Amino acid sequence: MSAPLETVALGKRFRGRWALRDCTLRAPEQTVVGLTGPNGAGKSTLLSLAVGLLEPTEGTIRVLGRDPRRSADAIAEVGYVAQDAPLYRSFTVAETLEFARATNVRWDGALADELLGGLSRQTRVSALTPGERSRLALAVALGKRPGLVLLDEPFARLDPLAARAFLQVLMDGVAETGATVVIATRVVTDIERACERIVLLGEGGVRLDGTVEELLESHRLLTGVRRPLGRIRGVEEIVRARHSGRQLTLLVRTNGPVLDPTWTVEPIGLEELLLAYMATVELPTPRPPEPSRLRWHG
Amino acid sequence: MAWVIWRQHRLQLLAVGGLVLLVAVAAVATALPVRAAYHRQALSSCLPPALRPGCELIVGHFRSEFAARAAVARWLILLPGLAGVLIGAPLLAREFEHGTYRLAWTQGISRQRWLLSKTALLGLAVVAASLALAGVAMWWREPFDHVDGRMSPAAFDVEGIVVPAYALFALAVGILAGLVLRRTLAALSVAAAAFVAVRLGVEKLLRPRYLPPLHQVASGLSAPTRSRGWVLDNALVDTLGRKITTGREDLAVLHAQRASVDPQQYFSSLGWRRVITFQPPDRFWVFQGIEAAIFVALAAVVLLAAVALVRRRPA
Repeated sequence: MSAPLETVALGKRFRGRWALRDCTLRAPEQTVVGLTGPNGAGKSTLLSLAVGLLEPTEGTIRVLGRDPRRSADAIAEVGYVAQDAPLYRSFTVAETLEFARATNVRWDGALADELLGGLSRQTRVSALTPGERSRLALAVALGKRPGLVLLDEPFARLDPLAARAFLQVLMDGVAETGATVVIATRVVTDIERACERIVLLGEGGVRLDGTVEELLESHRLLTGVRRPLGRIRGVEEIVRARHSGRQLTLLVRTNGPVLDPTWTVEPIGLEELLLAYMATVELPTPRPPEPSRLRWHG
Repeated sequence: MAWVIWRQHRLQLLAVGGLVLLVAVAAVATALPVRAAYHRQALSSCLPPALRPGCELIVGHFRSEFAARAAVARWLILLPGLAGVLIGAPLLAREFEHGTYRLAWTQGISRQRWLLSKTALLGLAVVAASLALAGVAMWWREPFDHVDGRMSPAAFDVEGIVVPAYALFALAVGILAGLVLRRTLAALSVAAAAFVAVRLGVEKLLRPRYLPPLHQVASGLSAPTRSRGWVLDNALVDTLGRKITTGREDLAVLHAQRASVDPQQYFSSLGWRRVITFQPPDRFWVFQGIEAAIFVALAAVVLLAAVALVRRRPA
């Protein structure tokens, strides 16, 4: 059973620089996936590859079980809103809907109408507020009754209120169509509100991939006296180490309970967790302790 | 899709339509005195093969009276290329500039089909507009064509089926330039330059050779003032058929003057003749067919390249 969006070792290089590399992920059916990562991690690139605007340099990508570069039918079933929600500025709202109807075989005008609500159909796109414009772009994407919805930074230009309204429209549309949604965004709070699953992209490919619950369950904050770091039972990986005075705080990924009584173990919030991962992508990962100090201690 | 194309390009299409209308109105306004003079001076009876004495004068008057108008009408050669480039260059470049290709190419139609249907419909519009232009030009130039024939570029370039072929080629070049350069202004300039280069290249290098030109030995030494064909060359040749340079000709004239001999007699005594190389007027439609075929074929090649590129090129 293939997932609506599936990539294997996907990579894209622009003029010698890798925008995305070694990306393997799947977005399962009927989930809302938050795709996040620092600037330049390849979120937009991944979505562009998924709608066939770009061709992979290496690896494979399958959208609704098909190759997006070869199959126009697959794209016909993907609702994509690119960054900045591109629309024809001189078109009115009604003309934009007519454009979508004319360029799509499957077009559910009633659904698009419903999602737009009271927005005046005679307003020109250039005169819409950012919130209205995003809403129109989303209605165009969802009116295709897509199996997969891809949104590239949908919240970037929206104030919090408009973002909330946008999410509401999205959720209504998703409830109606049963689509899988992938939202690429830097803004972690948006993800927290909407997504069941998180994929975090970093330089080395996919850094995190799991449901929100899994991620929260498998990460802990450890607080204790500052000390050189060796192995801690139950800890799979130290994501981030932070000192303040004599105190040491570790963000760790666990593979079992941490029972060492010298550590205070606390759960971590999603926002802090994702920010920590993004920070480690940009900064060098904490160095292992120097051997001399280890010897001194032990 | 037709509605989408109309909605997106209606300004350009209306502008082209308006241009054609404007040209037609200007043509009607300026044609009537020409036609009146043509009939008044009974020019038709003065045209070959009926050559009555004094006809030279009448034809000369007609020519000089309307030379300015005919010169203005030559600017019509710009319009088909202009229409094609103006519609073709922004077709893709504007989508790239505004980022809307990400909208247009992620709907239910493949981008090749999107490009092909746009090209087909706009191509049709451009062909229709340029056919109208050619029709207007042919009607307007009718009296001039009776006098001078329509093989020379002044008439050939604005009449007949080459006009839509030029427009189609300009459209294709504009589209490809827009796809490669992604900016409207750059695409416009490059496409216009490329169009002019190819168009002039074909006119100057290929057109004289579509069929082998004919040669005619003129009776006098000065070039005949009335030839309805396209005169490619008229040169003095010596008895062996070698071309005499104008420098040598001038020297010979000076020589004759010093000896108080009529230069014309002096030349004939040397056995020099004037040979005219020309394409005869009855080849008009053959040449039109050949040149139109060349430009339609070029347009097809450029368009195929654009379609192949739009499929392959990452956006």
